[in-house]
Amino acid sequence: MKPLILYFTADFPSYEILKRFLEEVDPEIVKYVEIGIPEINPLYDGPTIKATHSMALKNFQREHLRQFAEILIKKGIRVFALSYYDRINKEGTNFIHYLKDSKFSGIIIPDLLTDYSEESERIIPEIEENFSFIPFFNPATPDTVIQEVSSKTSSWIYYGLQPSTGIDIPFDLNEVSRRILDLVANREINFGFGIRTIEQIKEILGLGSSGVAIGSLMVQYLKDNDMEGFRNFQNSVRGVYLNAE
Amino acid sequence: MLSTQDSSIIPNEWYNIVPDLPKQLPPPVDRDEKKSSIQLLNQILPKAILKQEFTFQKYTKIPEEVQEIYAQIGRPTPLFRAKGLEKALDYNGKILLKYEGATITGSHKINTAIPQAFYTREEGSTGVVTETGAGQWGTATTVAASLAGITSKIFMVKISFNQKPLRKQIIELYGGEIVPSPSRETKFGTEILSRNPDHPGTLGIAISEAVEYALEHDLKYMLGSVFNSVLTHQSVIGLETEKQLEILGEEPDVLIGCVGGGSNFGGFVFPLMRKFKETKIYASTASEVPKFSKGEYKYDFVDTAKILPSIKMYSLGSDYVPEKIYAGGLRYHGAAPSLSMLVNSGRINSSDMPEDKVIDALKLFARTQGIVAAPESGHAIATAIDYVKNNTDQKETILVNVSGHGLMDMSIFQR
Ligand SMILES: Cc1ncc(COP(=O)(O)O)c(C=O)c1O
Repeated sequence: MKPLILYFTADFPSYEILKRFLEEVDPEIVKYVEIGIPEINPLYDGPTIKATHSMALKNFQREHLRQFAEILIKKGIRVFALSYYDRINKEGTNFIHYLKDSKFSGIIIPDLLTDYSEESERIIPEIEENFSFIPFFNPATPDTVIQEVSSKTSSWIYYGLQPSTGIDIPFDLNEVSRRILDLVANREINFGFGIRTIEQIKEILGLGSSGVAIGSLMVQYLKDNDMEGFRNFQNSVRGVYLNAE
Repeated sequence: MLSTQDSSIIPNEWYNIVPDLPKQLPPPVDRDEKKSSIQLLNQILPKAILKQEFTFQKYTKIPEEVQEIYAQIGRPTPLFRAKGLEKALDYNGKILLKYEGATITGSHKINTAIPQAFYTREEGSTGVVTETGAGQWGTATTVAASLAGITSKIFMVKISFNQKPLRKQIIELYGGEIVPSPSRETKFGTEILSRNPDHPGTLGIAISEAVEYALEHDLKYMLGSVFNSVLTHQSVIGLETEKQLEILGEEPDVLIGCVGGGSNFGGFVFPLMRKFKETKIYASTASEVPKFSKGEYKYDFVDTAKILPSIKMYSLGSDYVPEKIYAGGLRYHGAAPSLSMLVNSGRINSSDMPEDKVIDALKLFARTQGIVAAPESGHAIATAIDYVKNNTDQKETILVNVSGHGLMDMSIFQR
């Protein structure tokens, strides 16, 4: 089955509620879960995810990450952290070691290539010594950067359909996916950042060798603590995934 | 000298530098959690423009109708050797000029106004709205809208509106509607006037009014500079130049242009950077608005009213109030993100030119080449003259983009 990735901001809307949602994640269809580390200014997230960060920030405790990971790993789901560079810079390798010890499989740093390209030369190999560095590319990433960073890593690649999530910039799905599939062959490429509807998931799965990452689309269920809604949502995604087989 | 009539020189694709940049371009971001300024772009821009703004495609086909209109508004513009200027400077190298003043509106602004008006009409909107400072952009907008058969409404900064009555006449002649800003036609303008009925207006206020008016009346907003899509449209300048250089058998050692928001500069220089990888490049700015030498490379707002998104660029601060120099088009606090990145990386050098030097350069240029260049373009010319004077023993080929003529800005010479 093609990969399905769910994104949650850590401790949004609260530690307790998120835990219950994670327990509900269906391992039959969900391959990875991304846990976003709350940030004061999650620059490249759209308004929906941004709002989750500011709410999560006051609940956030680093120790929770280990507990979230535990719930998922028990079910056979791999867990990845999503963190802005600032935190990694502040907490240093200590933070990477903590994530690794907590059984995270890797990390995504959405602003690394954009705002810290000099640092990336040093930090990517450092991360790769511990676990996977998941490259995050989008339509604004130059070809040369995609090729270079891909060659330094071996994990899956996260490709943003838009330069920022939660904003509908018109794009041609076919064109966008063809570009990255042509640039890096034989890699698992998962698309995210800007998936708005179940219909779009269907379309992306129809394009080829790639999976889908979903974030903003689930925020309302979390906010309303609407477990029933979340279950139904997972079921409809499951329908799309099974049909795509 | 080249014939300007050869329409085969007009490119059929625009060039977008973003995928060719050495680093990833930081995207526009929202500063406000509650409302999305990027989502706002969705409402006020044609979908085709928004798509071009964020595309990874290096080349975008220029719609045939746009290519035809390019031919009718004076494209390709001439590329020629400035022998008079060379002689006056006693220079043994060559100075070549690309002259955007030869378009019907007298500047490069029309290059992006045409496709923006075209896409607006194609997507079923009936008209466009924009702001203008000195009037070049407003004029180009109105011409493009009239050629596309849609309406245009221009909010012109009140102080310039009063100083330059000719602009109102021209815009109305071309079929546009022009109002001094702040105006009573928007909530924002009304509010400002209620506090100060004699407010002279600013570009920031005019942008706010234009955006609000577009939203209220279901019209499209036209982007004058700074945005990627605008630089992409302006690439016709550099793409034509590349072909013309080939015909002339010339290769430039130095490229020079002036920078307001960066659209004529990026449009001219970026396509040429593909082939001429070793050229020295100078971005000429006003000493009075020293965005590269004194500004900071950071996220900042595009407009004073903070309605449009933040972008990463060299900026003097979005509420910076520039000195009242004649080159109104250079009085912008920032510069396009792609250009800013290349200045930051050191690939592009900056050159600040004070107004008195610019006036001298314009005079010399008029007397040796017969062209009254725009005050903005005068900066590029002044930088070129400076370069020649500092490198007299070199025999280099210096290529300068002259972004517009200055026949409507003659007051610069009255002092
Ligand atoms: C003749 C001319 N040149 C240059 C500029 C500066 O704008 P940009 O840097 O976008 O080319 C303007 C803007 O009004 C202009 O009218």
